[in-house]
Amino acid sequence: MATTVEHEHQVLRYRTKQRIVHALLATSFVVLLLTGLVLLWDPLGWLAAGGWSRLIHRIGAIGFLAVPAAYLILDRKGARELVYDSFRYDRDDIEWFKTMYRYFLGHAVEMPPQGRLNAGQKLHHAAVMLVSATVVVSGLAMWFFKPQLGASGLAAAAVIHDLSMLALTLFLIGHLYFTYVYKAISGMTTGWVEEADARLEHSKWMDELDAQAEAVTVGSGASSHDEVSQEDQSQEDQSQEG
Amino acid sequence: MAQAFVLDLGRCIGCEACALACKTGNELPTGVSYIELIEQVRGSFPDLEGGFDNHRCLHCQDAACVAVCPTGALYKEDGLTRLNTPACSGCEYCVTSCPYDVPRMVDGASTKCDGCKATTDAGGGPWCVSTCPSKALEYGERSEMLRTARTRAEALRAHYPNAQVYGETQAGGLGVILVLPDDPEVLGLPRDPDPPTVANVWQGVVQPVSIGLIGATAVAAGVAGVIARRNHMAELRDIEEAEQLVGDGDSSEEA
Amino acid sequence: MSLVDLEISRRTFFTAGAATMAAAGLLPRAAHAATDGTPWYRQGAIETTFGVCDMCPWRCGIVVSSVNGEVRKIDGNPADPKSRGMLCARGQGGVSFMNDPDRLQAPMMRSGKRGEGSFEEVSWEQALDFIADKLLEIKERSGPEALAIFGHTSGEYWFTDHFSQAWGTPNAAKPSSSLCLSPREEAAQLTLGMGVGGHEPVDWDGLRCLTLIGSHIGEDTRNTVMQDFADMWGDGGKVIVVDPRFSSVATKADHWLPIKPGTDTALLLAWLNVLVTEELYDADYVRGWTTGFDRLAAHVADKSPAWAASITDLSEGQIIETARVMAERKPQSVIMPGRHVTWYGNDTQRLRATYLVNALLGAYGRRGGMYFNKAPYLEEYPHPPYAVAGSAGGCSAGAAETSDELPLGPSGKARADGARETFLRGATALQELIDPMITGDPYRIEGLIVYGTNLLNSVPNKPRTREALAALDLVVAIDVLPQEHVAWADVVLPESTYLERYDTLWSVSHKTPYIAMREPAVAPMYQTRPAWWMARELGLRVGLDAYFGWETIEEYLDRELRSVGSSLDEMRANDGIIIQNGKPYLEDYDGASPFHTPSEKIELFSQQLADAGFDPIPEYESTPEPPRGFYRLLYGRHPVHTFAKTQNTPALNERYPTNEVWINAQAAASEGIRDGQEVWLENQDGARSGPIAVKATERIRSDAVFMPHGFGQNAPGLTRAHGKGASDTELQTDYALDPISGGAGMRINFVKIVTEV
Repeated sequence: MATTVEHEHQVLRYRTKQRIVHALLATSFVVLLLTGLVLLWDPLGWLAAGGWSRLIHRIGAIGFLAVPAAYLILDRKGARELVYDSFRYDRDDIEWFKTMYRYFLGHAVEMPPQGRLNAGQKLHHAAVMLVSATVVVSGLAMWFFKPQLGASGLAAAAVIHDLSMLALTLFLIGHLYFTYVYKAISGMTTGWVEEADARLEHSKWMDELDAQAEAVTVGSGASSHDEVSQEDQSQEDQSQEG
Repeated sequence: MAQAFVLDLGRCIGCEACALACKTGNELPTGVSYIELIEQVRGSFPDLEGGFDNHRCLHCQDAACVAVCPTGALYKEDGLTRLNTPACSGCEYCVTSCPYDVPRMVDGASTKCDGCKATTDAGGGPWCVSTCPSKALEYGERSEMLRTARTRAEALRAHYPNAQVYGETQAGGLGVILVLPDDPEVLGLPRDPDPPTVANVWQGVVQPVSIGLIGATAVAAGVAGVIARRNHMAELRDIEEAEQLVGDGDSSEEA
Repeated sequence: MSLVDLEISRRTFFTAGAATMAAAGLLPRAAHAATDGTPWYRQGAIETTFGVCDMCPWRCGIVVSSVNGEVRKIDGNPADPKSRGMLCARGQGGVSFMNDPDRLQAPMMRSGKRGEGSFEEVSWEQALDFIADKLLEIKERSGPEALAIFGHTSGEYWFTDHFSQAWGTPNAAKPSSSLCLSPREEAAQLTLGMGVGGHEPVDWDGLRCLTLIGSHIGEDTRNTVMQDFADMWGDGGKVIVVDPRFSSVATKADHWLPIKPGTDTALLLAWLNVLVTEELYDADYVRGWTTGFDRLAAHVADKSPAWAASITDLSEGQIIETARVMAERKPQSVIMPGRHVTWYGNDTQRLRATYLVNALLGAYGRRGGMYFNKAPYLEEYPHPPYAVAGSAGGCSAGAAETSDELPLGPSGKARADGARETFLRGATALQELIDPMITGDPYRIEGLIVYGTNLLNSVPNKPRTREALAALDLVVAIDVLPQEHVAWADVVLPESTYLERYDTLWSVSHKTPYIAMREPAVAPMYQTRPAWWMARELGLRVGLDAYFGWETIEEYLDRELRSVGSSLDEMRANDGIIIQNGKPYLEDYDGASPFHTPSEKIELFSQQLADAGFDPIPEYESTPEPPRGFYRLLYGRHPVHTFAKTQNTPALNERYPTNEVWINAQAAASEGIRDGQEVWLENQDGARSGPIAVKATERIRSDAVFMPHGFGQNAPGLTRAHGKGASDTELQTDYALDPISGGAGMRINFVKIVTEV
């Protein structure tokens, strides 16, 4: 299997666009989380005085809405791929969930073979999407429709907002946990991961990549998993699945 | 000791002396006012009745505004609802939550009567009380004020047979005990304002539980993460060793 | 000083910083001045001074709190019989009134045409010398009577009473007489042989039934009256309110009689009828203290409730029931005389009818009825006899001259207001002095000093007033604010407010006669001066030195206080009040009569009126009704404003910046006018005012509209009040002269609603 010299024995997991989107979304999420936390936790309440935290929270909220929106417009294929991947589970995925405790404890070996996203990642993404929707809707309601909500409506919206954020924060902790345990940070910083790691954790994906690479090599003589080829491949993936 | 006001709406004649005493005593800036006198006349000519609503903070004991205030700018002290304006975040939750529609946003901060905290701390009485020419206002220990309110309601029945005390129990008991000339509904007041149940769940359950869960999860994840990463590293080493035994070229290059 | 300096500089910095950031769009919240500063009473030692409020003519005693040389708060003086430690909204607004940046700040002389409002600042010397020269010129040419002096507000004594009498003009007048109280005072003189005085002598303590005819307690926020009313009402006293409008006090009434405007005398006569025919009157009292009862009984025999019902638009039952309610509680039952009573031109007779009801109820001199007030003993600072006797009257001066002979000025001229010819008696009629300025009949008034009188917002027939102002040889305006008429002055003298000056002692006719003092809380602001200083400086320049024999005001006050065994220092030590004993009840006179009528009794039948050709017992006279499409224009007060004086005061302006016109909701609907719609009002002569917002309300009859007085001012210098709302004075081009008292009845004007101009 051929690679470029720069990324020898590595495989490109996330393209630049995706990484930028992730970074922006992560930033706005952290801003929202921290500026929200000052309202959630009384000892931090003084940080909200004067309304600065609210202003920043609202700027963060705009980012949190704008980034996915921009991604949808600028990289429709990638976004569609992400949604498809997150909501489709095969037999291996079910098996993976059954033995998930092993993966949780750091044991990737003997886990059922996984695609580009493992079953946990899929579920994480799906949950983030759904819960983000509730946090956004409840947040916008509190921002723009306070008078219409009334006292109970406001409190209910706040409860939904808080619980949604609780869920997202717990997801975040899990997200960071697996990133740490499986040394996965480079996928989002450089975009490249060790091929060995990928083969261990995402063997089905690597198999697909190998098959693609062979086909491409036969057809056009291209010799690396570069961004173009990967995009082509994902297109094919979709056509197969669709 | 819980303090309270008595406001005898039967006696109030709408002269606005209280509003100006409040304004000048507290040197409130232009646009800020803690008391609004609102004409309240019912019926059609010539069968009319009515008086003046005093739109001002009623200092609920179970104050929804305090329940929802995320910064502690609104807080209870001596039975009254205080407001530490510099601490206000401008979230407007109090505005939405008040069952009596009292707090107003002025320059991005909640604005309402704080029961003349500064004045009473300095040994004075609330400005509105000391100036009221109709003697519709009193201030003192809440239990005493409740008795006064009952006596006043009794006296008011000479003119208004349905006169009654309002605020003994509403919202946990009001810090401004009203003597009403008629049923609260007739005067546009909720007979019993909805308690801030959802707000209490929000502030009293959801928020602490969230904080607790996040904290506990973060700690647990930290500990588990160290263990799991160690497991994973061992696993990777095992794989490496196994591959070396097999003597695969690619693997040896990596090492 | 350092404390307050620090405070100010800190606050200024904060505000400036906040403004910069706000401009950059960065600041979620601007500085909240109320809460980030130390409260004023913590900024330094509080200095208190005693004073008398000047935010309305009621004159409550006040305590003024100043910190570091700045007035910060005004409260009622607990020792004062009027304020009793409380204060109304307007009184609270005094600090704001003083700090109004629109105030007149320096003496000015006219540099353009009269009415243009172009002035240049001059020194006090220049201004006073100019006025003195002009005054002496007028005196030389036409006699001292050719100078008229109008005065209002609390320093009026110095010009309208003292200077005028020393100078020798009988043409000193106060709006508080003929535009307000004259009918009430003359009716009382004719009936009871005494004036009502500044403080209506209702003996609230013990009163069990109060009847108000067009009195607006709560909108007219006289502090003491609100207190007394609340106590009386709170103790279960009955209240009967006669008013075309469901006023604030009507909301407290046990009986509200929405009477057709102008028919009050018919109601009063019917009440008398019920009292007589049902024998509900106090027979012993009537026998002992009144004359003419039989003639009265005969007179009202045909004034049945049914007759009155057809006139007043009330029901016969209402009239009978209220008469019985009043009578059941006699003699602790009175009709309050009221304040502004110049309504329809026949007002003295209406007031007489009011007093006759009170007399039949046995109220005068009875506990819980009407007490006799008494002026305190106080000697004036000695001065030579005045050149002419004063007849300006006014609301705090007690009764006007009652002598049949009109006083003559030094050159033999009597008042130019037509007294004894167009009207019978009473204080000088201010509005009747306007014509002589234009026509020269009976003689020409050439000069006018206007002290604190809002000439163009109080005197009916504005076009005529403007014409007079243009015709005069000299117009001097002394005021705190650049009121509309100030633009017509040749010389403008800026006055210090009541918080910046000493003044005369207030000797108040009262149940407990008392003397109150005013001392400055702070030094005069800008180049302003008190009235006493201006009057004295002018007096010294025109040869009246002997009338100003004191060097300092403290010396003057001290000398007067010595006559009651006190001094300025002692008075200060005694909360600024000296209270004397009164003689409020009949029993205090040991069988002698307190009634100074010719018969020494309450004259139910007035021989004096009969002799002068008037009805000796009041008759109902109808007043013209509004033509089709017009409403009668009624006017009154808003609780936070006084006359046309306080509309520009920042704190009060903020509460109520503009007026609205009350129109019956059904009437408005049938005209297609919405609540809140901006309209113009046009009167029967085509005079127009507005725009003004409509208050479509059930609270008023459909034949009249109502608006708070004092708005729609046309004075560009009053930056807050200028052009806000509509002016009732602008719409009062006509008035009905009361042939007895000289009062100007102003409720005879009609307006229609104009939706587009």
